[in-house]
Amino acid sequence: MRILLAEDDPNISVIAKLSLEKIGGFDVTVVNNGESALSEALTQKYDLILLDEMMPKMNGLSVCREYKSQCAQPKPIIFLSAKSQESDIREFSDNGIGFIPKPFDPTKISGQIMALLQGPAA
Amino acid sequence: MSIRFRLFFLFTLFAGTTLALGYFAYDSFANFREQRHQLDMSYAIAYEINDINVLKPGNEVHRLQSYRARLAPERRMEEFSNLIEAVNEGNPRVLRERYQIFQRNEREFQRFTRDELDFLEKRLMYYGTLSLVILAFGFGFLQWFVHRAVIRPVDDLSRKMVDFLHDRYTYQFSVPSSDEIGHMQATFNSLAQRVITNMEQLKTLDQAKSEFLSIASHELRTPLTSIKGSLSLMRSGVVGKLNEMADNLITIAENETDRLIRLINDILDLAKIEARKLPLHQDWRSFNELTKVTLESLVGLAQQAEVQLAVEAMPPIDAYIDGDRVQQVLTNLLSNAIKFSPKGASVMVSCEINDRHELYIAVKDQGRGIAPEDQDAIFQKFRQATNSKNPLVKGTGLGLAIARALVEQHGGIIGVKSTPGEGSTFYFTLPEWRYGLPKVQEAAAS
Repeated sequence: MRILLAEDDPNISVIAKLSLEKIGGFDVTVVNNGESALSEALTQKYDLILLDEMMPKMNGLSVCREYKSQCAQPKPIIFLSAKSQESDIREFSDNGIGFIPKPFDPTKISGQIMALLQGPAA
Repeated sequence: MSIRFRLFFLFTLFAGTTLALGYFAYDSFANFREQRHQLDMSYAIAYEINDINVLKPGNEVHRLQSYRARLAPERRMEEFSNLIEAVNEGNPRVLRERYQIFQRNEREFQRFTRDELDFLEKRLMYYGTLSLVILAFGFGFLQWFVHRAVIRPVDDLSRKMVDFLHDRYTYQFSVPSSDEIGHMQATFNSLAQRVITNMEQLKTLDQAKSEFLSIASHELRTPLTSIKGSLSLMRSGVVGKLNEMADNLITIAENETDRLIRLINDILDLAKIEARKLPLHQDWRSFNELTKVTLESLVGLAQQAEVQLAVEAMPPIDAYIDGDRVQQVLTNLLSNAIKFSPKGASVMVSCEINDRHELYIAVKDQGRGIAPEDQDAIFQKFRQATNSKNPLVKGTGLGLAIARALVEQHGGIIGVKSTPGEGSTFYFTLPEWRYGLPKVQEAAAS
């Protein structure tokens, strides 16, 4: 399974990539800003998109909206964010399939992603 | 022109006019009295000497002479003297002549004086009425002036001050008048200007503080997230098996990172609460449920410290609170109680309604107690009771400061009752509560 990870902090993206590859066994591509995230996502090479909310050039929610408006069959999107107010969380789940709060535990993130992919019923 | 001067001028004008009119009225009245007196006397003389035969020398003339002294004007006195002289001389021809002249003159005088009296009467009435009218108008005018120059601007100013008090800044007086009220308005303008400037400065400072808080929390947390993530990945073995020594070192690093994260979260929480940047999301929450959840989250810590957690009977109560925040308060109090209790002791939570009709929550421990001189200090930042030797006692020293800030934000108070050696009871109150659903209905609902 190929994952596009958009995260501007290089350290966190290294940790997340390592954890997703070693623990989850995913194939991870990292981009470090909103615009590249959008152009990469539009190539449709990925099965899942992980978007950080706070990124330079374009924030996660704008990338998500733009991507959905330009793409007929959008792939599932999960947000990563330190914002934890109810209104923010609602916006994340309205736009994508879910949200993983920051700071995340790298040993658990793959499990969290699998749970979100299986849908809210699971 | 100052109001003081204008008022003085108006008063003088008013008083002068009234005095002048009063003087004229008095003068006319005195004149009127004198004329009437003369007229009365003239009638009296005419009555007494209604016939020429009455005029005889002797007593009669002597009596008539008493009139003479008071007759006015002079001409009449002379004529009366001539008449009396004629009576004394005893020449009937001269007497008749004089008598006729005197009678004619007196009749003339009476007619003239009656006219004069009529005129004076009219004049008196005229002055009287005019005085009254001027008095009435004068008072009216004075009142109007005082109202316009003093009362209205003062009212206006007080309205603007009230507006200012309610944060509506309509304070500006565009062109302050040059009198005393104007000075007051100008002073108020400057005062208001200064207050607004200060408020803007405060707002800027407040904004700077908020910005600092958000930057600090982001900048402090981001590197810690990376450190913590790296450490836990290393410890999970995904990058290769670690030897025992490395594993120990990683564990130390991880624990200390956790402590640093807790400290930063506590400091930022406290800063946010103190800057009122942490709004409460208040709602009716079952207090019993909240206590249960809190106790469950502390079971691990209690087992580690070998301390029993117990709840005294609690009535079903709902409180209007921010659940997460009150749970934080309860957690801080309970974890303190656990940390400071000896092995085998128990920590008791109770909840009751105190005599001020507030919800009163108490956490009772069997620890060493707190000396009276420390009881205030422990609620301050970075303060713990002196020299504790318990290895479990490692906190940021912010727990009680945060608890106090949160309880006070809910409108309650927090405190401690303790006797050294006999344990402590930490308590806090919550003002908004109600009896919750009875157990039966709760069971039926669930």
